[in-house]
Amino acid sequence: MAGEIWKPYSRVPLLGWFFGALVAVTLERLAGAPIARFVGLQKIPVLFGFSDMLKTPVLVPNVILYLLIVYVVPAAVATRLGVSPANGIAAALYRLPMAVTAAVHLALLYAILHVWAGISDYRVLVLRLTLIAVMLTLSLNVINGYMGEFSCSHPGFMALGAYCASVLTIGLFVDAQLFGAASLPPALGRFLFPLALILGGLVASVGALFVAIPSFRTRGDYLAIISLAFMFIVKSLIENLEFVRGPRGLSGHPDWADLPTVFLWTVLCVWSINNFVRSTIGKALNAVRDNEMAADAMTVDTRKTKIAAFLFGAFWAGIAGGLFAHVMRYVNPGNFGIQNLAEVLAMVYFGGLNSVYGSIVGAVSISLLGEALRPLEIFKWIIIPLLLILVMIFRPTGLIAFRDLDVANLLKPKTKPGGEG
Amino acid sequence: MIVFLQNLVNALQWGSFYALIALGYSMVYSILMLFNFAHGDIFMVGSYIGFGVSMALIALASWGAVALPNWLILVLTILISMFLTSFVGVIVERVGYRPLRNAPRASAAITGLMIGIILETGNLALLGARRVSFPSLIATATYDLGGVFVTNKKIMIVLVSLLLALALHQFVRRTKWGMAMRAMAFDFAVVPLMGVPLNRMIALTFALGSALAAAAGILFGIAYPVLDPYMGILFGWKAFVAAILGGRGSVMGATLAGFLLGFTEIFVAMIFPSTLRDLIAYSIILLILTVRPHGFFGEPYSARLRL
Amino acid sequence: MTVPLLQVRNLSHDFGGLRAVRGYNLEIGSGQIRGLIGPNGAGKTTIFNLITGIYKPGEGEILLNGEKINGLPPHRIASMGVSRTFQNLLLWRHMTVLEHVKMAHYSKIRYGWFGAFFGTPGRHREEAEIEGKAVHLLDRMGIRHLADQVVLNLPYGAQRRVEMARALATEPSILLLDEPTAGMNPEELEQVMEIIRRVHGEFRLSILLIEHRMKVVMELCETVQTLDFGAVIAEGTPEEIQNNPRVIDAYLGRERAD
Repeated sequence: MAGEIWKPYSRVPLLGWFFGALVAVTLERLAGAPIARFVGLQKIPVLFGFSDMLKTPVLVPNVILYLLIVYVVPAAVATRLGVSPANGIAAALYRLPMAVTAAVHLALLYAILHVWAGISDYRVLVLRLTLIAVMLTLSLNVINGYMGEFSCSHPGFMALGAYCASVLTIGLFVDAQLFGAASLPPALGRFLFPLALILGGLVASVGALFVAIPSFRTRGDYLAIISLAFMFIVKSLIENLEFVRGPRGLSGHPDWADLPTVFLWTVLCVWSINNFVRSTIGKALNAVRDNEMAADAMTVDTRKTKIAAFLFGAFWAGIAGGLFAHVMRYVNPGNFGIQNLAEVLAMVYFGGLNSVYGSIVGAVSISLLGEALRPLEIFKWIIIPLLLILVMIFRPTGLIAFRDLDVANLLKPKTKPGGEG
Repeated sequence: MIVFLQNLVNALQWGSFYALIALGYSMVYSILMLFNFAHGDIFMVGSYIGFGVSMALIALASWGAVALPNWLILVLTILISMFLTSFVGVIVERVGYRPLRNAPRASAAITGLMIGIILETGNLALLGARRVSFPSLIATATYDLGGVFVTNKKIMIVLVSLLLALALHQFVRRTKWGMAMRAMAFDFAVVPLMGVPLNRMIALTFALGSALAAAAGILFGIAYPVLDPYMGILFGWKAFVAAILGGRGSVMGATLAGFLLGFTEIFVAMIFPSTLRDLIAYSIILLILTVRPHGFFGEPYSARLRL
Repeated sequence: MTVPLLQVRNLSHDFGGLRAVRGYNLEIGSGQIRGLIGPNGAGKTTIFNLITGIYKPGEGEILLNGEKINGLPPHRIASMGVSRTFQNLLLWRHMTVLEHVKMAHYSKIRYGWFGAFFGTPGRHREEAEIEGKAVHLLDRMGIRHLADQVVLNLPYGAQRRVEMARALATEPSILLLDEPTAGMNPEELEQVMEIIRRVHGEFRLSILLIEHRMKVVMELCETVQTLDFGAVIAEGTPEEIQNNPRVIDAYLGRERAD
């Protein structure tokens, strides 16, 4: 009987799931508040009701009822009803160039996020921070997963990108006592923001050379130490730079890192990294990881490969850092220390090494979990580490490791059973 | 010159803490090829256990049940805390590392990191955010050696540290357990075939390392009475760097490197503004490691628990 | 007079205080199969490592088609046409068979970083080309059906073929095989020998073979060098070598000392 219910869902293409999700979030937008009151909640639960459930456990059934009425049932029904048209549209799109198909799916995904987040500023914030976490996790995975190093320098790369972008935007566009009057009109700002971010990314890449070059001669534990020292040095450097107000940090960032911007950068990041790791040039990272001597013997330029991995990973960490600074509109060196390192390492190893899927899952899970468990305050930092330890014990390389993301496969229409699917 | 000597004394004290903690890292690494990232937090736990034990002993003494002079309380605190903290280390190994014995080392490293976080958070949860103060068990007496002021505390700290390091050295050299540990460092797989109980030896290694960390914690509490749940982070990572600097697996190297790190920090702070202390110390270390990646006494993979 | 494909002149190399290779000379012409035998520790793999650039020789020269290659990084030497297999089968444990063979094309890739990051049509075309060549090679080695298997899961015999296919994918002019029959039973031995013969014939490669099994050396090699303590103690056809008293002494003497 259960099989009968699930079977139609195996034929749902990605487009179908998106459609279902869109219906659910639209329903919440239109009728969320009255439904919430109807089930006995005061207002729409912001993050799937976790905080309500944790603060007032007696409301657990109410929250579950809400989730069923607003999310699960409408999405399930809409998806089920829309299977055929979804497959039809997916097939039609599939015949068009991949870029178009992908663009349509991404637009739909963005629509879902946009509608869902429209309810509250908190949601927008969480979403943006989660997307940034995806960028960080994936870029670290390039170095730690695909190339198999144990690099602790990611917070340092983030810091370089964050401060570089912040200095540029604040210095050029904001009338702050710090850098003097704004040099350029704010209207120009939005167009130069990407440039500021990219510059931050490039500075982070240059910083990565300090870790990449030693990696030619040493690997494993020694490189871990060197990368750790790098992180401490960057943090210390910033703390001692009066120009950027040292430990007090910078604030007053222009409000340019909105949801569409962060979403676009995340898409760019995932797309370019996925392209890279699926190419033979990208697979060279794996070859260097699994046996460097053999890679050398098989014409792979191992030095170039190592530099590429570090610089590319650092670049996206820098961009993520720049976006982070502009989302929080405040940045200080304390953001980029051991705590940050532990978080980003947790996301990579939890989600899965050497896997784009893994990084997305890891980033989203740990980010949302972190937010959802907020009412537990410090106990959050017992539950999350415990969860990670469990994953390490039972799946040491992470939940979804070594899994390729094949975009074409993802966007394919699912034919009926009896044929290929 | 006087300033130099004064700083030398401080550096010796500072280096003692690093050395004792670095020893624990080195011992575990030499046997399991694994850096126990929770070790710095075990140092913190040892310090707090010391606080608890000393407070309990003081209370005991004040109720008149037993007459305990302060120095005795101190000795008992150190011994009892070392003993108790060694159990913490053993539990950490059993719960976190043993299941991952055959997993990639990175996974074990992450596990260690997480255990450390749990220890910190546990402390915060149990004791709240208020800082605790280590009871003053020694009346500070300052000696004037030709213009250089040395306190009895500093002398005691350095002496106790050197004593413990020496004791460890003798243990590894002379006892059969020590011999087993050295054998494990050379060839891990063969040792159980020789009838050595592997798990027990590994537990012993963790126990010893944790005991030393606890000693460091109590000594630290004597010198700097205000404890902090995050004190392990700062010390832990730096001692970790010292362990690498000394050459992985080298007991003497870890001790030496710990003192060297202490010297570097103190003398850097002497010359440069103190905010630059970490920056310059780490840069120096980075330089040393780039030029000599295996540390002072370390060798790539061959000799491990060397003395 | 044509320049021989590979020339090694007066090659010597030390490890610390130990002289591992002394005054080694070699000349291989196009299409020849030569053997290199000797007791364990004689320096055979070291010579391979010196030729392929893993070590920089202390003394001597190595010339490929008349061009000096000693001192060049290993990947350069490999892309110039010197390929090898390893005694201990250094495969990439998490990668598939197909990925192994495609990787060997690395130096010939034209699409560069831009193509890699942005997925240009040029890159897709080139990747398809590389995959085509790789599949073809797997076909000829009889392991096409294993293309998507992760090498970790394969039996030893299949792994050996993957290593051979990978080495061939660099499109070398000379192939250095380090104990290709190690650990094989008689049936697998015949298969490997057949593969080596085919490879020699179809690809028209020169081959330098390190071997312990006399049967392989006798049947495959045109000439053989015997190495002991880093120096060549005998050189000639397999028959001559087999009966050479110095060779016998080197093998038996080594055993006596042990």
